[in-house]
Amino acid sequence: MGELATEKHVQYILSVEKRKDDFISVAMEYLRMNGAYWGLTTLDLLGKLDAIDVDEVVSWIMKCQHESGGFGGNIGHDPHILYTLSAVQVLALFDKLNVLDVEKVTNYIAGLQNEDGSFSGDEWGEVDTRFSYIAICCLSILHHLNKINVEKAVSYIVSCKNLDGGFGCTPGGESHAGQIFCCVGALAITGSLHHIDKDLLGWWLCERQVKAGGLNGRPEKLPDVCYSWWVLSSLIMIDRVHWISKEKLVKFILDCQDTENGGISDRPDDAVDVYHTYFGVAGLSLLEYPGLKAIDPAYALPVDVVNKIFFGR
Amino acid sequence: MKKKEGSSYPESKPVDLLHQFEHILEADPLIDEVGFIHPSQFAKLTEEADDATDIPTSECPSFWNRDHKFGVSTLVLLPLYNAAKLAFMAAIGEYKRLGPDVVVSGDGLESEVMKHSRALLLLSPDFGTAWNSRKLIVSKKQDLSIFMDELLLSELVLSYSPKSDHAWSHRRWVIKSVTGKCSTLQEILRKESELVEKIAERSKMNYRAWNHRCWLVSYMTRERVLQELKKSKNWAGLHVADNCCFHYRRQLMLRILKDSSCKQENASAGYAIEIYKLWKEELHWNETLIKQYIGREALWLHRRFLSLCWMKQFVTDVNDVSCNSEQKISISNDFGFFISNELQLLHSCSSVPNSDFDDFKAQATFSASYMLWLTKQSSEFLSKDSEHQEKLTAGNLKTLLSKVCPERSSLWDSLMG
Ligand SMILES: [Zn+2]
Repeated sequence: MGELATEKHVQYILSVEKRKDDFISVAMEYLRMNGAYWGLTTLDLLGKLDAIDVDEVVSWIMKCQHESGGFGGNIGHDPHILYTLSAVQVLALFDKLNVLDVEKVTNYIAGLQNEDGSFSGDEWGEVDTRFSYIAICCLSILHHLNKINVEKAVSYIVSCKNLDGGFGCTPGGESHAGQIFCCVGALAITGSLHHIDKDLLGWWLCERQVKAGGLNGRPEKLPDVCYSWWVLSSLIMIDRVHWISKEKLVKFILDCQDTENGGISDRPDDAVDVYHTYFGVAGLSLLEYPGLKAIDPAYALPVDVVNKIFFGR
Repeated sequence: MKKKEGSSYPESKPVDLLHQFEHILEADPLIDEVGFIHPSQFAKLTEEADDATDIPTSECPSFWNRDHKFGVSTLVLLPLYNAAKLAFMAAIGEYKRLGPDVVVSGDGLESEVMKHSRALLLLSPDFGTAWNSRKLIVSKKQDLSIFMDELLLSELVLSYSPKSDHAWSHRRWVIKSVTGKCSTLQEILRKESELVEKIAERSKMNYRAWNHRCWLVSYMTRERVLQELKKSKNWAGLHVADNCCFHYRRQLMLRILKDSSCKQENASAGYAIEIYKLWKEELHWNETLIKQYIGREALWLHRRFLSLCWMKQFVTDVNDVSCNSEQKISISNDFGFFISNELQLLHSCSSVPNSDFDDFKAQATFSASYMLWLTKQSSEFLSKDSEHQEKLTAGNLKTLLSKVCPERSSLWDSLMG
């Protein structure tokens, strides 16, 4: 089995930002804030965050903030809760949460809660359990969970639970590992994991591991490195991670590396991207791969960052 | 009607490219498919066009438009995108600066935003700010036909980017906006459902598409739900590995179950029979598929759902002393028959003729874990049936599962001690 090509991955992440000449990367500029979170968290897990100019990143992030308090995916783009979490997470990585007008950001998020406890992603009203997680995670990081009706938020999430134990986007939506991570994460942060039948959900989750060792996100799908994160973090939060083979999963992730130019892809021999590089490294961190910082399965931030937020050290 | 536009050179100025691009979209409002084409493919397309006795396009084109299909050369994507973004950002910036109340409809600024946002979205389908700008303008108008145009644009975007989150979300925004304001909602829902099916054909197990179809269910009338059940059956039978379609059927079935529980007092017996028949039929059909297509996970997961609901629905009825209609008694008598049938199914699916056949191994694993899952989820019901309980004791299943699926031994150990 190969080893994690740490140096190569660092070089790859640092190079991605500079690419301005191909259509695919330019046309993705609307989610640059998510990209910043994926790339920078990866660097931190690899212990190389000091390669980044903090002031440059922080001032760019603050330029993405809208007067409503929410953040856009890039300068001049409309705010959305998806990018607001990424902005807060990146500031947390750099221990720079103090630059935020916390009241403003938390008012924006709290204002997106609906009567039934669900959350809209922005003023246009699309509802999704992803947004519930984001709201709860973000408010928790900023110590303002009291601004929303947590009880209703939890009961909405529970209403999205399916008979197979998994969760979907909205009530009746198909179970999907990404949505499950969001729902389990939100329930974990709010201390509501008792709403989950852990054996039932754990069973569904461990059935995501295919022969090759990788995890898929739904039945009959191919394995994909990003589900190493979604499935694994969920299994850890409900204490059922021993139901899958960790060794096989480590091997699968390492097989998805581009050992020449750095980066990790969704499956062996596919093209790499920052998104899968982050989820691959984060997955390995959850698997306690040597040399990586530990990551918190609910907040999706390095454990030392989370400790600093909640224990001030 | 055939028409053709095009002929520009890759070295054209980005602004000219954008104008040309937008002009083609304007001139042919029936364009229903967009695609990005490598220049080498253009020659082939032009040749084919000649065969169809069309006027040949000039050499080295950036765009290709025929039979309402619109091709864009990959060579011009980057300058075209940059020009579209610049034009859109300028227009929406100005629009917001003036404020929607000051901008008079028809003074050009609104149509600028609409024109450039459309161009931009065809190049970058999840550019949320561009979708939002359209929502802003369209919601001000409150005109049904303008709302319907948004569905067309979204469909065009989905024609080449079937997983675009924003394009699907835009449809839900339109439907929520027109609900209660138009008499054709059920017709719109029918078309939405057809669109999902069309896209699902090309884009397998597309979560966003099927999620959209599931979302529609709560807006459907009972009649619509029954028709959807009928229609999706054929598709599901042809795509047995697609869990999405089976999940959609589950939502439709649950909706029928929910409707019936709301109408408990009157006509409850008639409803119960109808649901009973529906479930019986689905179970039977599912068994046929399971035997026909060996080792398909989605089929077995569907059976977990069907059997669990069946037990919950009809076994509770057995203990309902207030109910003594003959029909219900005949249903309750079927419970023993049901469990025997499942055991038979397990028996016939769990023999592995040749251990080298992965499909049979998978079939054995799925059948045994199905049985274990069912006993775990319905232990309360099974405990009342001592005759079959014995056959379902964990011991047998554990031996079987450890043999056919040793990689999950820690799961089997945890579940069966
Ligand atoms: Zn992936």
